[in-house]
Amino acid sequence: MLKYGYGGRILRIDLTNRQFSVEDSDSKWFRDVIGGRAANTKRLLEEIDPGCDALGPDNILIFGIGPLTGTFLTASAYFTVTAKSPLTGILGDSAAGGQFAAEMKLTGFDQIIIKGRSEKPVYLMITGSGVEFSDASHLVGKNIISTTEIIRTEKRDPAIQVAAIGKAGENRVLFASLVSSGNRLCGRTGMGAVMGSKNVKALAVRGSRTVQYADPLAFEKECRRMKTAISKHEEYNKRHELGTTMLMNDLNNIGILPTRHFQEGVCDYIDDISGEELADVYKVKNKSCFNCNLHCSRYYYNEKVEAEGPEFETLCGFTSRIGNCDLSFALEMNYHLNQLGLDSISTCEVIGWLMECQEKGLIIPEDIDGYKITWGENDKVKELVNMIACREGIGNMLAEGATKFSKQFCENSQKLVMQVKGLDIICGDPRGIKAYGLSYSVSSRGADHLRAEPYFELTKKWHLAKKRYGTSKAADRLSEEGKARLVRHTEKIALLTDCLTMCKNIGLCMDVLDFQKAANILKYATGIKYTPHSIEKYLGMSVERDRMLNKKFGLKKDSDTLPERFLKEPLKKGPSKGSVVDIQKMVDEYYGLNNTKM
Amino acid sequence: MIEVDINKCTGCRMCETACSFYHTGQTNRLLARIKVVNKYETGIDGPVLCMQCKERYCMDCPENAISIGDLGQIIISATVCTLCRKCEKSCPVGAIEYFDDHIYVCDLCGGSPRCVEACTEQALTFVPEKSGVISLSNIKEKAKAMNPGEKRIFFINRAGVDLRKKWRERNA
Repeated sequence: MLKYGYGGRILRIDLTNRQFSVEDSDSKWFRDVIGGRAANTKRLLEEIDPGCDALGPDNILIFGIGPLTGTFLTASAYFTVTAKSPLTGILGDSAAGGQFAAEMKLTGFDQIIIKGRSEKPVYLMITGSGVEFSDASHLVGKNIISTTEIIRTEKRDPAIQVAAIGKAGENRVLFASLVSSGNRLCGRTGMGAVMGSKNVKALAVRGSRTVQYADPLAFEKECRRMKTAISKHEEYNKRHELGTTMLMNDLNNIGILPTRHFQEGVCDYIDDISGEELADVYKVKNKSCFNCNLHCSRYYYNEKVEAEGPEFETLCGFTSRIGNCDLSFALEMNYHLNQLGLDSISTCEVIGWLMECQEKGLIIPEDIDGYKITWGENDKVKELVNMIACREGIGNMLAEGATKFSKQFCENSQKLVMQVKGLDIICGDPRGIKAYGLSYSVSSRGADHLRAEPYFELTKKWHLAKKRYGTSKAADRLSEEGKARLVRHTEKIALLTDCLTMCKNIGLCMDVLDFQKAANILKYATGIKYTPHSIEKYLGMSVERDRMLNKKFGLKKDSDTLPERFLKEPLKKGPSKGSVVDIQKMVDEYYGLNNTKM
Repeated sequence: MIEVDINKCTGCRMCETACSFYHTGQTNRLLARIKVVNKYETGIDGPVLCMQCKERYCMDCPENAISIGDLGQIIISATVCTLCRKCEKSCPVGAIEYFDDHIYVCDLCGGSPRCVEACTEQALTFVPEKSGVISLSNIKEKAKAMNPGEKRIFFINRAGVDLRKKWRERNA
C-alpha cells in the first residue's frame, strides 16, 4: 500500500454496467513507472486488446497522475489521459495542466480506468468514495466552460474540477481534445473522441483526502530549491510575460516559423502576430497552473472575445501557418477551438494542407463539394472549424484528420500532409532544428515535440553540450551530430516530467530537473528509495514499453521518418536557408544507442 | 490583516498550498485557511481569507469559544469549541470552514504569514496595523443561504466586476 505521495488507490469504472470498483495501488507495480504517463502506458499494455476499435467499448481510457501531483512541488499540475488513439491507431496520450490534476489527487486515486460504453450521455462525478453516474443529457452540445459551471452549480461546489469534451468530442472528430480548467487541453491524439465514443461528457472530480509526505522537511527544502531555480532562471521574465508565445519571435528569428503550411520559415508580418504584440495589446493578466511560480499563462480580453491563452501552437497555427495576419482572429479561434474541444495543431494542419493543395491545384473545388479556400480567408476558416466540430458537409471528411482525408486524393497531395505516424506536426520546422526533427520521427505518439523536447539545441551551451552529449554540435540546431544522444537523454527527462506530472516548460526547457533531483524529491515525498541510476533505468524501460505497445498496435519501424518536404526541399530564405534533415542518419544513430545507459 | 489585490492574482494557489503545508506538513486545500477561487468564464482569480471585518459576525459564538488576538486574528479555542459550525455559517465570505473535526480560519501564522511569503506576484500584503476596517454588511444577507464555497465565489465575483471594468476601459 502506498501511503506517502501517492493517492494509494485505483478506480475502475465499467460504463456498460454502470459499476465501479476500487483497489489499492500496488507499490511494486508503480515502482518502475513512478506514475503519470509511464504508468498509463503500462496499464494500457497490460489490459487492452490491441485490435480493438479505438472508438468502441473495448478501448480503455485512463486518467493518470503521479506521486508528486498536487503536492507542494512547484508546477506539479499535470494529468495524462491515455487510450488507443482513434486518429493514429497507435498509443494515444495527452497531458494538461491547470487545476484538474490537483483535485484528482484529493480523491485518492492514482489512476482512473474507464472501460465500456454508456448507453446514454453521462458525466462521472468522482469523489473519494467512488463514482456517481449523472445524467448528462442537458449538457450535450454545451461548451467546456458552460459544462463546468453547470456541474459546479448543480453540485453546489465551485471547487469541483471538470475535464469535459465539447461538440467535437461528442461528434467523435478524430482529433477532438479533452478540456479541463476551462481552457487546459489534452489536445493530441483524439482523447476527446474516445471519451465521446463512451458517451461520457465530462469527468468531475472533488476530493478531500490529504496528501502526506514521508519526510516533509526534506521535501520542503528540495521544493524550495526548485522554486528558486525557476525564479532565478535567465528566461524567467520573458517566460512570465509571454509564456510559450515568446516562441513566435524566437522561431521566426531562426527561420523555422511555419508559414503558409511549411512552405516558408520566415513570416513577413511577424510583428503583427508576435507574443509581444499579444502581450502589449490584448493581455490583461497572468494566469497559472496549480502551485506554479512561473505564471506563464495569460488572459486576454477585447470586445469580441476573452479567454485564457493562447499557447504558441494555437497562435502560430492560426496565424502564419495558415497565412493569417490578423492576431485578433487567432484569439477568437483559440476560444472556439478550446470550447468546441478541438486540437489546434491537427485542426490547423488539415486546413493548411487543404489550402496548399488547392493552391497547387492538387485538390480542385469539384473534389470537395465545390469548396475553395486559400491563405488568410478567415471567415472560411471559422466556418470550416465549426463544420469539422459538427461533422457537417466537408467537415465530416476533414474531421478524420489530414492523413486519412488525404487518402482520397493523389499521392502528391498525400505527401504534403505534415505528419508522422498519422499525427500532425507541431509548429516548428525541423529543417532548422534537427533534434526536434529526430524527436518528431521517433516519438511514440507520432509527430510531436513533447516526447523529447530537445530545447537544449537552441541554448547555444557549447561546453555543456560537449560534456553531456560528447560534441558541442549538440547545441548547434543545424547540425545532425550529437542529436541522437541529446534526444536519448531528453526523452527520458521528458518522460520523467510526465511521471512527476510536472510542466515541461519548467522541468525540461528551463532545465531545472535531473535524475538526482528527481530521486531526492521522490524519496522525500514517497519514502521509496530511488537512485539517479534506477530512475534512468526505469525511464529507459518505459520508453521501450511504448515501442512494445506500438508494435502490438501494428506499427512498423519504417514509420520513424519525416515528411518528404523536410528531407528534400530546402528552406528558401532566412537563417535556416538551404537546410534539410538527414533523418535516416539520426534515426539509425538513435537506435544504435543503448537505452538503459547514457 | 492580509490585503488582497486581485488584479495581481493568477490563480496559482501557491498561497493555499503553503498554508496547508506549513500548518500541517500535508497538503489538501481543505486544510488551508486561505482558499483560491478560479472563475474560468470571467478570468477572475482570487484568494479568500479572514478579512478581519468590522462586524466580526463569527464572534456570536454560542460557546464563547472565539476571541480576537493581538494581530486582529480570530482565535478559536479547540477545547471550548463544540464544532456547531455557527461561525462557518455566519462568515459572509466563506473564510471559516469546517473540515475533519476542525474549524479552519486564518491565524496569520503568528505574525509572518506563509501565504504572503509564497505569493510571487505580490497579490498578498500583510498589514499588521490594519484590522476591522472592511465592512461586509452589504453582502451578509445575500450570502446567507450559501455554503462556504459558494460564498467565496460570490465574493470574488463581486470583486471581479471592478477589475473587468478596468479591462474594458483599457480596451476602449
